[in-house]
Amino acid sequence: MQFFTHVREHRWTTAFGYVLFVALMVAGYYYNITFVQLGLIDLGTRLVGMSETAVSVWMAALALCTLVVAVATGVTMDRRGWSSTLRTKLQLLFGVVCVQFVLTLVAPEIRSVPAFGAWIGVASIGLGVGFPVSFSLAIDLVPVPDRGYVAAAITAITYFMANAIPLSWSIDVFSRVMVAAMAPGVLVLAVLSFARIDRIDAVLSSLESQHRAFGTGRFCHDEPVRARSAAFVVPVILMFGVFFIDSLGFLRIIDTPSLLLSSWQSPALSTRVFIAIAHVVGAVMAGVIYTNYSLSRVFLWTFALFALSHVLYTSDLRLAAVFPSLAQGPTSPLNPAAYAVAVSFYTTLNFVLWPDLSTADTVGTHSAIGIGVAGWLATFTSTALALYFQAAELTLLSHLNVVQALSLLLLFGLAVGLYVRRMVELARYDGGSTV
Amino acid sequence: MSPTEAIPLLIVVLLMISVGGGDVQQLSVTFQGETSVETLDDVHVVAGGTTTVPVDTAVSGDIYVIGGTARIDGAVDGDVTLLAGNLSIADGATVRGTVQTIAGDSSIAPGATVGRVSALEAPTPSNSPAQRIGAFLLQFLVLGGIGWWLVSRHPVLLENVGAAVADHALVSGVVGSLGAVTLLVLFVYMMFTLVLIPLAIAGLVAELLVVLYGQVVFGYLVGTHLPLERSSVATVAGIGVFLLALEVLGVVPYVGGIVQVVLAVVGFGAVLNTYFGLQRFEPVTIPGGGS
Repeated sequence: MQFFTHVREHRWTTAFGYVLFVALMVAGYYYNITFVQLGLIDLGTRLVGMSETAVSVWMAALALCTLVVAVATGVTMDRRGWSSTLRTKLQLLFGVVCVQFVLTLVAPEIRSVPAFGAWIGVASIGLGVGFPVSFSLAIDLVPVPDRGYVAAAITAITYFMANAIPLSWSIDVFSRVMVAAMAPGVLVLAVLSFARIDRIDAVLSSLESQHRAFGTGRFCHDEPVRARSAAFVVPVILMFGVFFIDSLGFLRIIDTPSLLLSSWQSPALSTRVFIAIAHVVGAVMAGVIYTNYSLSRVFLWTFALFALSHVLYTSDLRLAAVFPSLAQGPTSPLNPAAYAVAVSFYTTLNFVLWPDLSTADTVGTHSAIGIGVAGWLATFTSTALALYFQAAELTLLSHLNVVQALSLLLLFGLAVGLYVRRMVELARYDGGSTV
Repeated sequence: MSPTEAIPLLIVVLLMISVGGGDVQQLSVTFQGETSVETLDDVHVVAGGTTTVPVDTAVSGDIYVIGGTARIDGAVDGDVTLLAGNLSIADGATVRGTVQTIAGDSSIAPGATVGRVSALEAPTPSNSPAQRIGAFLLQFLVLGGIGWWLVSRHPVLLENVGAAVADHALVSGVVGSLGAVTLLVLFVYMMFTLVLIPLAIAGLVAELLVVLYGQVVFGYLVGTHLPLERSSVATVAGIGVFLLALEVLGVVPYVGGIVQVVLAVVGFGAVLNTYFGLQRFEPVTIPGGGS
């Protein structure tokens, strides 16, 4: 890992870049998976008084709006050259954090549907601008060979905090914690973005010039990857599949009290710490695999792990259906731990993939399309499907069975696709002449 | 007992039934609470709580105890097998078949009538130095023989796996742990299909063989550091030293066990990464860097 070389050789500016990137991404992702994904459900149902279905529809709208704003922001960043200007990106990020700070502060006071809708609209702008801006910082701050490990560190720290720190899933609690955590962050970003201090200017200039030394993303070396090329579209589709599977399954799991209270919301600290450690282990594994193997191998492992965790869940449910008394017993933390490993795997991949598929001139657009389509559009469509399942009164087993089938299908499809691609390569190489 | 905890022992029960050639039409399980049994399915599994065959009650079928407590006060026309938990057969009770204790606590009152009593004595190597030394020597002879043959005929295999262990221990460990756990779960769930039990057993044996192959490679690596000229002799000696080190580690509580597991998964991953040594493992090259 080059980070240790930088530290050993006292290149503190470069080392500071690593720390800054990890801190910003951890803060942003922690905010997203706690406040946005969990806090909004509580806000909508408990304080505003909407049904869970209505809140889900609003969440889907948030996802769709975020996608549109993210793509518009990413394209604008690349066209205006903001993607390769560090200070501009920090200023944009400062604006986003300010908007989110205010939104976080006022969220517990919302009591009406129109106010909730307005909150969603403003939040989607903040998120849509924030994603391409923050992901594009990777090209300035993290050398290409270290991106897998840095992504693993972001995932591990975020999920460990989210699971091990016992916070109630309520908007009031999230709001208080986030406001306290964001306040110093706003100050630091303000100084970095606007203060004209020689020392800070020198650090930022040094960091900004790094992207030329770091070079283009890992997958752009032979030739730049274009947004319409298969080299970009295929990973987007695969990541869409991963996000879709995760979201569709998790929406139902957190809607099932027996599964939720024995895992992510367990009153036992040991259970939550066990899941938190599983997240860390999964992230480290993903970092190692990403750094040492081809991209297809990482995707194969991701789908295999999702298939495995859903096989575990559905097998338990099938067993409980045959022996109903089983359903009354305590649930093992093994299933959520396997699920946590799978989630950490693809989250790590998500943090590193888009910068590595980009150059300094395309990182805004590619990050926006990647996260927008794979992340937010998948969330939107999976939420819509989950609502349909809910309306159709699908049982828990049937719901998770669909998710399991999808993960197995993607695993099988990817394996076949890779095999066929190799066959085509061999056929072209040999020209079909070898007997 | 949760489903995940019950699955391994339920699989053992299914294996025992299928190996015994039993024609099972119905199987019932109790997981909790107080249950008094008046009639039995072909097989009844006690996984938790307390199940009692009351006095003056005669039931027909086999009982497997994998958790909780089974009390026999009446008559059972069948076998009773204890895999875990507690079993008590009271005075005046009757079991016409075999009472087999594999693990767990069983008590049979003097006044009880039992067709046959069978107890599986778990091997206790720690109590018998001769047995431990015998097992160690057997393992050393087998692995040493394999190591001798490999280093004499196919040294590249050991070199390639050894290089993956020495140069890429972290990658080997990650792949080894992921591969071993995933395959283990896969084989366990294959067993549930009953049809795939032979394949699952073959898979588990294969996993064990890969771990043993890894041990041979570790021995080879140790051998390269010994002051012996002939590589075959050095490999055999290295395997001996490595196995001895594993034995010593087994004595150290907690840390010793963890180190043993780490060595096993690193060896497992190195074998997989190199296709059993047929190909040298080279991680992908990520261009770029510098500052």
